[in-house]
Amino acid sequence: MASCRRLSGAGLREVLGPAQGLLFDCDGVLWAGERAVPGAPELLERLRRSGKAALFVSNNSRRSVAELERRFSRLGFRGVRAEHVFSSALCSALFLRQRLLGGGGNGSGAGRVFVLGGEGLRGEVRDAGLRLAGEGEPAPGEPVRAVLVGYDDQFTFAKLAQACSYLRDPQCLLVATDPDPWHPLSDGQRTPGTGSLTAAVETASGRKALVVGKPNTYMFDCIVERFGVDPSRTLMVGDRLETDILFGKNCGLATILTLTGVSRLEEAQAYMASDSAAAKDLVPNYYVDSIADLIPGLDE
Amino acid sequence: MAGTAGTAGPRLCRRLEGEAARAVLANADTLLFDCDGVLWRGDTAISGAPAALGRLAAAGKRLCYVTNNSGRTRVAYTEKLRRLGFPPAEPRHIFGTAFCAARYLRQALPPGAAAYVLGGPALAAELEAVGIPHLGPGPAALPGPAPADWAKAPLDPAVRAVLVGFDEHFSYAKLCQALRYLLQNPDCLLVGTNRDHRLPLEGGAAIPGTGCLVKAVETAAQREAFIVGKPNRFMFDCVASEFQVDPARTIMVGDRLDTDILMGNSCGLTTLLTLTGVTALDEVQAHLDSDCPARHSLVPDYYVDSIADLLPALGE
Repeated sequence: MASCRRLSGAGLREVLGPAQGLLFDCDGVLWAGERAVPGAPELLERLRRSGKAALFVSNNSRRSVAELERRFSRLGFRGVRAEHVFSSALCSALFLRQRLLGGGGNGSGAGRVFVLGGEGLRGEVRDAGLRLAGEGEPAPGEPVRAVLVGYDDQFTFAKLAQACSYLRDPQCLLVATDPDPWHPLSDGQRTPGTGSLTAAVETASGRKALVVGKPNTYMFDCIVERFGVDPSRTLMVGDRLETDILFGKNCGLATILTLTGVSRLEEAQAYMASDSAAAKDLVPNYYVDSIADLIPGLDE
Repeated sequence: MAGTAGTAGPRLCRRLEGEAARAVLANADTLLFDCDGVLWRGDTAISGAPAALGRLAAAGKRLCYVTNNSGRTRVAYTEKLRRLGFPPAEPRHIFGTAFCAARYLRQALPPGAAAYVLGGPALAAELEAVGIPHLGPGPAALPGPAPADWAKAPLDPAVRAVLVGFDEHFSYAKLCQALRYLLQNPDCLLVGTNRDHRLPLEGGAAIPGTGCLVKAVETAAQREAFIVGKPNRFMFDCVASEFQVDPARTIMVGDRLDTDILMGNSCGLTTLLTLTGVTALDEVQAHLDSDCPARHSLVPDYYVDSIADLLPALGE
């Protein structure tokens, strides 16, 4: 079992030295709301100079990767391109493309996707070559082949009912971008996450959703396919034990918990003390107060 | 084989007919009826059901109506019963989850405490009738277009409970408000009217049930709701507090195993399944055949194809 050791001093160099790259969650790790975590842009810069890769894996399904690239830039992070960013919106679109189009070909005959989510998510699905339900005339023989539940702040009872009517067809997939039950707001409040909407759709339809996001490993498959990372030389850095740290465990990555986001150190320690095997998978190998604490572990 | 009212032994879901039907009905003073799928489907009475209840009433049985539906007031139910030809009922015979949830909150909340309600006008009316201030029913009154605005809207400090019922105006914005109230005060209650997944409509269609909305709130808040409706015994307790009811001389008639029958069995009532609703007989057989004790508690004492089948036992 991982031992949740504070990473500092010599330990930093021992752990970061051999690493070829780091995967970062974004919210609560690199930034909180509209503010970058102090020192985070510098850390990425130092990683670049050390020749280590930095890739980004986020459960946030609101933004397209193009929007995320602009956000990185706006918050002071330099050199991050859309191709480095794996959001649950992008990966859900890739997943649906694989399942509905067989990974290639054009969109005709593949069926449409009913998306519960905003324009960022819808755009990623369109960019993957899929057609959305409710847009344009449905071609004959083009049934709705998937319901995709993402973060949808325009979710309504009517949309829930519509999703269920599509899901009466057992061939229609039910996919969710991520399982997150809530997200923190900058003033300490919480806003409901995709997980709560997915629970409503699952209950109404009697179906279990295929969840693309962390802690499931599909997003890591997308990363490996594009960049070929070696899990044994890659570190996962995140702020949420139930998603980021478990994701790291599931993908065979060593994990670092940063305390600038959702999870508290006490929660990690409670999981460590628990008797349940499942709880132990949520314990990070290491923790830091902030990812800025990793800077001394890199070469000057 | 065991199975008559009041005796111990496994429940075997025997068809209720002939002499057994006469005996079981003679031994009962009170019958509790679920409504959807038992007395009517949508707006159409099940053929023979009004006549059967008419005969039961004429025989001096007390008839009560116990429904998980939170969309109607008690008065509205008496209206529907009358309109569909059932024997006259007073509001005090009707136990819907709107009424029972209001009763529950009146017991559980300190005086003056308010409820944030995900629900419709019936739920609001029942809360009003017991003097509980409430906000929330209907479309969300949004202070702005974006979630950031909604999270800044002032919260009413009197709210001490979030109540989730059937809500056709359910939206992310309302879910957001519910979550804020639950986090505002650690003592805030989370109450749901029922967990039904689906609300059956006329002609076999169905829409999502309250259970879906309850699950959404529970997931966001990471806590479990107290559910007022069947199979929770709270609704039977409401009946028992209104009338002198002897469980051994009471029959629960329903169409759902995991609500009507489970509640009836848990409360020591005689349970009668009717097949005019959502349950098919092979489901019961599967529970009977399983090794799991929890599944056995879903098995009724008796079944009929329709409550109209009771007519011969009630004849002159």
